[in-house]
Amino acid sequence: MKIFLFCVLVLLAILIGAYLYRVLRGPTVFDRVLGLNGISTKAIILLIVIGVYFERVDMFVDISTGYALLNLVGALAVAKYLEEKGHS
Amino acid sequence: MATRTRPISSEFLFLKAMALFVVWVLLSASFAWIHLGLGFICSFAVAWINSGHSPFVPKFRLWLRILLYLPWLFYKIVQSSLQLTKLILHPALPIAPQLISVETKLRHHAAVVLLGNSITLTPGTITAEVDRNKLIIHAMDKTLAEDITSKQIESKIADIFKDEEPDL
Amino acid sequence: MDILSIIFIVAGLFFLIVAAIGVIRLPDVFSRSHAVSLTDSLGAFLMLIGIAWHEGLGTNMLKILVVLALLYILNPGITHATVRAALRSGLKPWKKENS
Repeated sequence: MKIFLFCVLVLLAILIGAYLYRVLRGPTVFDRVLGLNGISTKAIILLIVIGVYFERVDMFVDISTGYALLNLVGALAVAKYLEEKGHS
Repeated sequence: MATRTRPISSEFLFLKAMALFVVWVLLSASFAWIHLGLGFICSFAVAWINSGHSPFVPKFRLWLRILLYLPWLFYKIVQSSLQLTKLILHPALPIAPQLISVETKLRHHAAVVLLGNSITLTPGTITAEVDRNKLIIHAMDKTLAEDITSKQIESKIADIFKDEEPDL
Repeated sequence: MDILSIIFIVAGLFFLIVAAIGVIRLPDVFSRSHAVSLTDSLGAFLMLIGIAWHEGLGTNMLKILVVLALLYILNPGITHATVRAALRSGLKPWKKENS
C-alpha cells in the first residue's frame, strides 16, 4: 500500500511537469495563468496524498485548505489585473 | 467608521457568523473552551465588519431543494466528462469550439449565479460573460452545446426558485 | 488499504492524465480551460473520495470533504475569471475553418 501511494505521488509530480510545460511555453499570458491554476489543484491533491503517505493527514489537510483559499485570491487578482491591462 | 448604505440584517449576520464558526471548528478541531470562545468572538467580528453586502438570505426550503438538485448535477457532470474525455483522446481531435449566447428567463440574482456555476462546473461548457440575464457560453462541441440550448439546467433551477420573489 | 479506495484513486488518476493530455494537445486558451475544469470536477472528486474512504469515519474524512466542497465552489469562479479576462482583452476563440 505504501508502494501504491508512492507511485501515485510520482505520477502526480509528472503531471505537474506537463502543466509546467504549458506555463513555460504558453503563447499568451492566459495560458500561463491557466497552467498555474491547474498546478495548484494538483498541489492540493498532492499535499493530501503526502499526508496519507506519512500518516499525518490531520496536519496536511489544513495546509491544503489554506492553499485552496490563497489560490482563489491570487488567481482572481491576476485575472482582474490582466482584464484591465489586456494581452500584450 | 464608514457609513453603511444598507441596514444590517440581523438574521443574515447570525447565519454568516455561524458559517464562519463551523469553519473555525473544523480547522482547529479542538473543543477547549478558550478556542471555542475565541472562534465565536472572531467569527462575529468578521461577520459584522463584512455585513451589509448581500440582501438575500436563503430560506431553509431553498437549501433543501438545492441539496436535492446536486445529485442530478453530478450525473450531468459525469455524462459530459465522458464525452469530453472521448473528444480529447480521439486521435483526430474532432473538436468544434463555439461561442453561444443564451438569454435566461430567471429573474433572481442567486438563480443566475447558480446557473453560471453549474454550467462552468460541467466540463465542456464555460460561462465566459454574465450580464444580468444574458450569458455568453463557450462550448467545446455540438452535442455539449445542445445541453445548454435545450435549457435543461435552466428549467431545473427555475423549478427550485419558483416560490421566490424576483429581484432582477 | 481497501480495494474500493484503490479503484477510486486509479479512476481519478485516469481523469487527471486525460486532463494533462488535453492541456498539452488542445489549440487555444478557451479549450484548454475545459481540460482544466475536467480535472477539477471529476479527477479531484474521485481521488479525494478514495482517500476519504481510506481514512474512514472521523475528523480527517470531514476535513477532506470540506476541501472537496471548497474546490467545487471556488474553481468555477477562477476558471470563469480567467476566461472572461481572455475574452475581454480581445482574444478570438480558435475555429476549425482557419486552421
